[in-house]
Amino acid sequence: MRLYKKEGNTLQILSFPDDEVEKGDYLLVEDANVNRKLITQVIDVQFASVPGLLEELLRDSTTEEQIYGENFDPLGVSSHINHIQDARMLICKIRGTMLNDRLRVNSSWLPSRSKSGITKIPFNSLLAHLGGNEGLPINIGETKDDSPLNITAHDLDGRLNIITGKKGTGKSHLSKLLVLGLVDYKATVVVLDLNGEYTGLGLSAKGGGNEYSDRVHVLTPGANFRVSLSKMDLGVMLKILVHALALPGTSTREFKHIWKSLTQQGKFTLQDLGDAIRKCACNMHVRDALFSRYYSLVNSGFFTDDEESATGFEKLFEKTKKDGGALVINLKDVSAVDRQIVLEYTLGNLVKLLGQWKIKSVFLFAEEAHLYLRETYWEDIVTRMRHFGLFTNFVTNQPDTIKENIYRQADSIFLFNFTNERDLETVSKAARVDAETVKSLAQELPPHHCLLIGNAVKDFPVMVKVRALDIKTMGQTRLFFA
Amino acid sequence: MKIQHPSTIKTIPLEHNLDEKPVVAVDVSSIKIGETEAGMLCAIRGAIVWKEKNRYKYQRIGPFPFHITEQNKKEIHKLFRNNNLEIAEEGRTPNIANIQARMGNLLERWLQLGISCQAYGTIILWDGSMTAGMADSPVDEMSRLLEVARNRLSTVLAFSKSTTLRFSGHKLTDYAGKAEPPCLLHINGFPLDSGPVLLLGNVYVAKLTPGVCSFRLDIDRKIPRERGIEAVQSLLGSDLLIQSYPETLRLAHIYSTFTATEVIGIQRFIAQQYGLKIVTRPNVRRLLFGPFGKGAEGYQ
Repeated sequence: MRLYKKEGNTLQILSFPDDEVEKGDYLLVEDANVNRKLITQVIDVQFASVPGLLEELLRDSTTEEQIYGENFDPLGVSSHINHIQDARMLICKIRGTMLNDRLRVNSSWLPSRSKSGITKIPFNSLLAHLGGNEGLPINIGETKDDSPLNITAHDLDGRLNIITGKKGTGKSHLSKLLVLGLVDYKATVVVLDLNGEYTGLGLSAKGGGNEYSDRVHVLTPGANFRVSLSKMDLGVMLKILVHALALPGTSTREFKHIWKSLTQQGKFTLQDLGDAIRKCACNMHVRDALFSRYYSLVNSGFFTDDEESATGFEKLFEKTKKDGGALVINLKDVSAVDRQIVLEYTLGNLVKLLGQWKIKSVFLFAEEAHLYLRETYWEDIVTRMRHFGLFTNFVTNQPDTIKENIYRQADSIFLFNFTNERDLETVSKAARVDAETVKSLAQELPPHHCLLIGNAVKDFPVMVKVRALDIKTMGQTRLFFA
Repeated sequence: MKIQHPSTIKTIPLEHNLDEKPVVAVDVSSIKIGETEAGMLCAIRGAIVWKEKNRYKYQRIGPFPFHITEQNKKEIHKLFRNNNLEIAEEGRTPNIANIQARMGNLLERWLQLGISCQAYGTIILWDGSMTAGMADSPVDEMSRLLEVARNRLSTVLAFSKSTTLRFSGHKLTDYAGKAEPPCLLHINGFPLDSGPVLLLGNVYVAKLTPGVCSFRLDIDRKIPRERGIEAVQSLLGSDLLIQSYPETLRLAHIYSTFTATEVIGIQRFIAQQYGLKIVTRPNVRRLLFGPFGKGAEGYQ
C-alpha cells in the first residue's frame, strides 16, 4: 500500500487486491523517520484510475462467440498487467495520530509519501492504545478481524444512545443484548416495549427459563400493571390529563379543585372521582370535558380501585434493587391514547422517584419513541432527566423521527444498515462522526452488523457483527403465507 | 481544391466475391517503457487474427520486454536477425533509439513468414507496404515471404494506414476522393524503385466502402494482376470492412497495441523480476518552454 493523496482529513491510499483491505478497516500509516503514526479508517474502496483501462476493457469486452483466442506470454507479464488493472484506491478518514505510542486527535501532520509504511491494524490493538475504562465489559459481538468487541457498561452510564437501522437488520436484538448486559451488572432497566418484543427476555430460545428469568419483569397495562388513584400524585395525573388526554386549561384548574377536595375527604376511588365531577358546580362544558377524560381513564383499564391488585410504582423498583433487572412495559395491543396514559404515568413517576433519590439511576430503552413520546419530552429526556439519572437509549427504524439536536447530543450511535440516502443524511448529523463515514459504511452493512460510533468506541467507528443471544424471539411478524 | 485524375490513373470497379476465403492478418507493436541508467526499456508484441466462418480467432505473442544497452544492443539485434530471418549483417547496429522499431519490424517479418508457410489459399493481410531494401526489410527476405505465400496459393495484401507516396504532387490516397466504392485506383507508370528501395507490390489506392477513408494497397507484383484483384474481391466477400479497412487487420492492430495500463504492468514486471529502476529524466522542452513545449512533445 502506498500513500497517494491527502485532502482535508481524507487520505487516498493505493492498494492491490492481495492487501485484503475492506471498508471499515483501520490502517496505520507509519513514518519511521519521525516516529509518528497516522491512524486512518477505510470508508470506501474504489478502483484506482489507471490510464488506458477503458481501452483495455473495451478490447476484452467482445464476447467469446465473436472473438476468441489465446495469449502466448512465456514471461507471465500479463499477471502484472492484471494486477495494475485491479489496483484499488482506498478512501480513508484520518482518525488520529500516534506520537511515541500516545494517541492524539490532531491530524495536521502529514506523513512522508515515499517513506511511509502502511499496515492494517486490528481494532482491538487500536483500543488497547486508546486505553480507557476496562471494567464492566459488555460483549457486543465480533469485529471484522474476528476479535471480540466489548464496550463497557460505563459507556451507557449517564449517556444518551441511539440504535437505528432499517427494518429487520437487528436493532431490537442489539437493544436486548444491551439490556441484559446492564442487568448483568445489577442495573435497573425500563423498556418501553411497543411490540411485545422484549417479553421473552427471561425465556431461553427453547422456551424454558433462562438466567434472567427472575430479573425480567413484564408489565402489561390493564393486566398485571394497574394503578390506583390513591397512590397517584396530582402532578402525574395532571400530566396524563393535559398531555395524553389534551385537557384544556380551565378544565384542568377545575380538576385540581376536585382532586384536592377528594384528598381532604380521603376518598380515592374511580367511583368517587366520577361522582365528584358529576356534582361539580362548574360550567357545563367544563364538566363535559372532565367527564370525557374520566371515561378515557376508566376505559383504559389501567386504573383500578382494588388496592390489592394495584401496582405500586416504587415497589416495582424494589424488585430490581438488589440484583438489578428489567421492567418491560409491554405496550403491544395497547391503544395510542392508553399508551400515552401509561407512558405519562411511568415517566412522571420515574422522574419523581429519581428526583427524590428514592431509586438508583435507571436505563430507559424506548422503541419507536415518536409513537408515544410527546414533543416536549424529547428534550426533557436528553437534558433534564439525564441529570436526575434517567439514561435513555432510543431504538428506531425511522431516524427522521428523532430531532437533529438529539443526534447532536448522542454519545453513541449503534447504526445498522440503511439504504435510503435521506435516512443516512439524518443520522450523519450526529456530531461524533463525519457524514461521509456514515453514508459509506452504513449502506453496505449486512444484517446483524452495526457500525458503532461515538463514546462507546472512543470515537473510532467500528463495524461489528452482533453476537447471538439465548432468548426467546418475540415480536415476529405474523405472516399470511407462513 | 479539386484533384483532376491524370490519365495514368485507372479506376478498377470491384464486385463482392461471395466464395468465402480464410483471411489472416498480422500486426506488431513496440513501445518504449522507460529509461534506465544504462539504456532503454522497450516491449514488443505481435498479434495474428484469423477470420473463419463469422468468427475471429486471435493469438497474441508477447509482450516481450527488453532492456537495451550499449553493451547488449548488438547481441539483441543479432538474435532477431539470425534466429528468425536470413537477414545479412549490416555494417553497424542501429542506435538504441532506433532499435525498438527495428525489433518490432523483425518480429513482424518473422510472424509474416510463419503465416506464409502455414496458410494455404488464404488472403494474408499485412499492416504496411511491400517496400523492400531497408535494413529490416531486405529485398531477398521480403521476396521470399511473398514467394512462399504465392506457392501456397495465398495472396498477400498490404494496407498502409498512411502513405508518403505522392503522384503528380498529390498524396496518393487523395485521388480516391470521388471514386465510387468498392474500387481500386491503379497508377500506371509509378516508379518501382528508388535507389536501394524497391516496391515488391503493385501500388493501388483502395476505396472499398463509402466514407472518407481510402488506403494505399500493395499487391504482390509477381502474381497475375487479375488474381490480385480477385483476392481483393474475395476480401470484400469474406471480411467485414469498415471505412475501407478490413476488420481482421483492425483487430490485429488492436490486440498488438499497448495500452497505458499494460505499460505500467510491464514496468512493474521489470522492476520486480529484474530489479531495474526506471529513471525519470527532466523534460527539457517543458523546462524551457513551459506550456509552449507541449506541441512538440507529441512527436517524441
